[in-house]
Amino acid sequence: MNGVHDMGGMDGFGKVEPEPNEPMFHTEWEARVLAMVRAMGAAGAFNIDTSRFYREMLPPHVYLGEFVLQEVACSGSKTLLIDSGLHRRRGSRLPATRCSRRNRSSAASSR
Amino acid sequence: MVRGKFGRAGARAPAKFKPGDRVRAKNIHPATHTRLPRYVRGHVGVVERDHGCHVFPDTAATEAGENPQWLYTVVFDGAELWGPDADPTVKISIDAFEPYLEAA
Repeated sequence: MNGVHDMGGMDGFGKVEPEPNEPMFHTEWEARVLAMVRAMGAAGAFNIDTSRFYREMLPPHVYLGEFVLQEVACSGSKTLLIDSGLHRRRGSRLPATRCSRRNRSSAASSR
Repeated sequence: MVRGKFGRAGARAPAKFKPGDRVRAKNIHPATHTRLPRYVRGHVGVVERDHGCHVFPDTAATEAGENPQWLYTVVFDGAELWGPDADPTVKISIDAFEPYLEAA
């Protein structure tokens, strides 16, 4: 699909500015999401191409917004888990939504 | 999450291209998953390396099978992709599966 992830040749994003002394994870949930995604992949719940496909189907404002990589992984995996039957949609709240919201509020308070 | 490699033995057909061949990236716009970047579609490059046969992400992503395909490194001149004002020293390499390519 011609998604927003295919960014080669696009202008206007500014410089890549590495964070000095960047920690491995900025918040605890990032480590948890990484562990969950790796564990589900290792267990054969999905393959790497499926997980990439789901991340790349995220809407542009989500993919390019104030999200960090683990949030993209988290949001992509959420839909993937529902579609693959590993997670049942109940009510309106999902763990992935909560972790995204938590990161946004902590990012806002650090400015 | 390791994507399997089939090597040369897993090939269903001989490789269509070899290093040095000129190839055109197909102008395709699948609504499903693909690893062919938009900026090379329709452009001509040169095969630099043959990596053997690998799982084809375009079908694996939708659980339509591993469908192993030949994988090549294809090199494009900057000017071919970005026009006459491009830095003449720039070359762009992509890893392209055989179904993305046609002889040029």
